Amino acid sequence: MKRQSSLVSESVLIEKLIQRDQQAFQWLYDQYSPALYGVVLRIVRDDDQAADLLQDIFIKIWKNLDAYDATKGRLFTWMLNVARNTAIDSLRARKTQPYAEIRTDADTVHIVDQEHNTEQPKPEHIGLKDVVNQLRPERKELIDLVYFGGYTHEEAAEKLNLPLGTVKTRVRAALQELKQLFR
Amino acid sequence: MNVTEYIASGILESYVMGAVSDQERREVECLSSIYPEVGRELDQLSEAIEQYAMLHSVEPPASIKAKLLQQLSFSNHEEEDDEQESDAIVRPMPVDMSSSHAHRTTWIVAACMGLAMLLFSFFLISKLRTNQNALASVRSRNDSLKTVASQLQADQAQSEQVVALLSQPALKRIELKGNKQAPEGDLFVFWNADTKQVAVTVKSLPVLPTDKQYQLWALVDGKPVDAGVFDAGSTNSATQPLNRSIARADAFAVTVEKRGGSPAPTMSTLLAISPVKA
Repeated sequence: MKRQSSLVSESVLIEKLIQRDQQAFQWLYDQYSPALYGVVLRIVRDDDQAADLLQDIFIKIWKNLDAYDATKGRLFTWMLNVARNTAIDSLRARKTQPYAEIRTDADTVHIVDQEHNTEQPKPEHIGLKDVVNQLRPERKELIDLVYFGGYTHEEAAEKLNLPLGTVKTRVRAALQELKQLFR
Repeated sequence: MNVTEYIASGILESYVMGAVSDQERREVECLSSIYPEVGRELDQLSEAIEQYAMLHSVEPPASIKAKLLQQLSFSNHEEEDDEQESDAIVRPMPVDMSSSHAHRTTWIVAACMGLAMLLFSFFLISKLRTNQNALASVRSRNDSLKTVASQLQADQAQSEQVVALLSQPALKRIELKGNKQAPEGDLFVFWNADTKQVAVTVKSLPVLPTDKQYQLWALVDGKPVDAGVFDAGSTNSATQPLNRSIARADAFAVTVEKRGGSPAPTMSTLLAISPVKA
């Protein structure tokens, strides 16, 4: 994927955003809304709900720009966390059943997709396939469970029937592998 | 802290995965801002998860963007003007504050200088008063010294006169003793027949009322001749020259007369008489 975010000075962008500059917002939306929408969709697995959440997420981002501290992390990481937390909170609030059961199904579906090497329905996932093919399945599974499922290490250990230490080691190994893949 | 160990602990990976407690989150944010190695690792991991999230990109419905542009409030040109105007109102404040601070400093300095000048004025005034007092006392002392000096001059002149009188070889000294009217009376008459000068030195005579004076008479061929008046008292024991010229005298006598003297002696008040020895 493109690394357009690095082409624009983030501090200039943030300054314009805080000034409520419409052009800066449009640039921000065009740049990041597909990624945020993809993450939200990946979590809630519902187009309508994901569209409503995306709208809420951008309103949240717009209102909390003043609270964003550039020294504590990258802007896109912050936006991803807003999107991810909003989607997971929504999921937990909507489901009467424990979300873990639902996630179990979703992950199973996903893992089955991977295992059967079926085509992803969206053209945006072409790059993902290349990466995922290099990433070890048990590591990818754990990333998806924790990052998109909102699982804690303890919950993931229970879910996968693995020792907590193994989960922690695997999460670290997965991230290090991702880091190497994108280098 | 061992940075390498901390990076290897897996906490940073858990952090970017959103699987840390609030306390761990604050710890990571704090340490990554303190240690550049931690910050760098966190940045790379964040970028990795960003890239991974980017891979999941799905184009959202176009209606969302339109809704957001309608829903969110953006700054337009009018608002920018308003902001500039409010800025123009706000900006002078720190200037005013700093200038009022400068004014305050100026006032403090001025007040200090004023106080110093006031104290210096008091000092000068007290100094002036002291000097004036000293000058007044010096003046009064000077006046009293002048008085003393003139007194001494007068005394010296009289003394010189007396010394001149007494040092004449032709001088005669006649002692007059009081009669029964003045039993304690005793005085000397100094007479120089050549210079016709006469003086008296009272050793003891009764103090007279203020309207009376003693008068000295020279007896010439049995007739009294005025030889001048003099006073007697505790303060006047010095030799008193008399302002009459006596060329001849057989005897001298003292009477009490009215102040200023009489043309003829009052015989009833004759106190003493003594012949001039040849």
